[in-house]
Amino acid sequence: MLLTTFEYLKPNSLGEALDVLDELKDRKIHVLAGGTDLIPWLRARTKEAEYLVDLEGAGLNQIVFDRDQARIGALVTFATLSQHSEIGRKLPAIAEAAGKVGAVQTRTLATIGGNVCSAVPSLDAAPALLVLDAQFRLQAKGKERLVAAEQFFLGPRRTVLQPGEIMTEIIVPVQDDFRASFLRLGRRKALTLSIVNCAAGVAVQGGGEIAKVRIALGAVAPTPIRAYKAERLLHGHRITPELLAEAAAMAATETSPISDMRASADYRRKISAVLVRRALENATGQTRQVGIKIRTAAGGSK
Amino acid sequence: MKKNIDLKVNGQNYALQVDVKDLLLDVIREKVGLTGTKEGCGTGECGACTVLINGEPVNSCLYLAVRAEGKDILTIEGLGDPSNLHPLQQAFIENGAVQCGFCAPGMLLSAQALLVKNPNPSEQEIREGIAGNICRCTGYVKVVSAIKQAATVLQRDGRASYEP
Repeated sequence: MLLTTFEYLKPNSLGEALDVLDELKDRKIHVLAGGTDLIPWLRARTKEAEYLVDLEGAGLNQIVFDRDQARIGALVTFATLSQHSEIGRKLPAIAEAAGKVGAVQTRTLATIGGNVCSAVPSLDAAPALLVLDAQFRLQAKGKERLVAAEQFFLGPRRTVLQPGEIMTEIIVPVQDDFRASFLRLGRRKALTLSIVNCAAGVAVQGGGEIAKVRIALGAVAPTPIRAYKAERLLHGHRITPELLAEAAAMAATETSPISDMRASADYRRKISAVLVRRALENATGQTRQVGIKIRTAAGGSK
Repeated sequence: MKKNIDLKVNGQNYALQVDVKDLLLDVIREKVGLTGTKEGCGTGECGACTVLINGEPVNSCLYLAVRAEGKDILTIEGLGDPSNLHPLQQAFIENGAVQCGFCAPGMLLSAQALLVKNPNPSEQEIREGIAGNICRCTGYVKVVSAIKQAATVLQRDGRASYEP
């Protein structure tokens, strides 16, 4: 039983939702997307609400591919993302991350926008969105802005979202020659927060030099982070196993993890280097054949 | 804040008055009176409260009852009954996949959702399908065997997408 008591509102369109949010922006209000974080927080009284605004009817559950970008509605669920064939083909890192969140039951409900807006440091959608240069469309009544994924997170559970404002859409550029990969490590494969999660994406020029590279990590800093120094180390160079290992070690130095019940800071740093190297290997097609088991995002081994 | 809702559970309509903060789990158990759905952790981490909403597995402890209006809810009572067990239930019995039984309703519904989508799953796919259902008695080997057997039975009988 939920102990807290609130008013429940379910607007039937985005416009109606923005009106309601504008009217109530000075009140204790929460927007309900999938509820897999919010309901336990309300039950544990981590959060209190006077009003719950359910966005299920606001029409934010579409995925649209324009020529060079995907527009993913904030209320698209991880189940949908993990099974969507075009997402799987063009943005596999997102499909891989989506398929690893929670378990089947979680993915039925949990939404990509809800996950991002929860802004917990371990959120699994973040690394892929960071390496893909995603932008978030934030809307309030009569107002709209685009915020880059890198600029969105301010701290644990803190974002740039203002009262009355919600995320409505995630815009992800699609670049054919840019391959990205997502990996996570948790205590078990399902129903566990990531100890470290990571995505890496690479585009290679005709001559073999790295033309574009992005590396992002989660659960190792107050917010999901990009590993800029490691990226700079790789940019413009030819891929060698030694260079990837060097970049992975550099990425680990860019983290600032804490020790908690899930892992020590030291372990998180070490695992960061391992995951970054593996994600780079996946993204560059350099997967090692011998002597190392790589747990792929799809859950199998290769 | 009270609200009147029509809830469709196992094909039957229930006109109920609920509070907007009531969870589907509590409404199913206390207002509809079907107690096969269990509460374990209450935070979406154990799967004991799994029901199917429009065919998709959901932790009913994370779901507001008001949100379920107009949707099809399947609980364990709708999967089969003692005189007419669902092939999954029969296979769980034959394989000894039920010990204390607390996780079994959720486990069976996750398995049902899996087999409707994927009538011939690999062991890995079965394990992923039930990864959200924790058993604290005995583990998963017999559960996996039972689901494999049920899949075989359903396919043999040409009922691959057998729906209750």
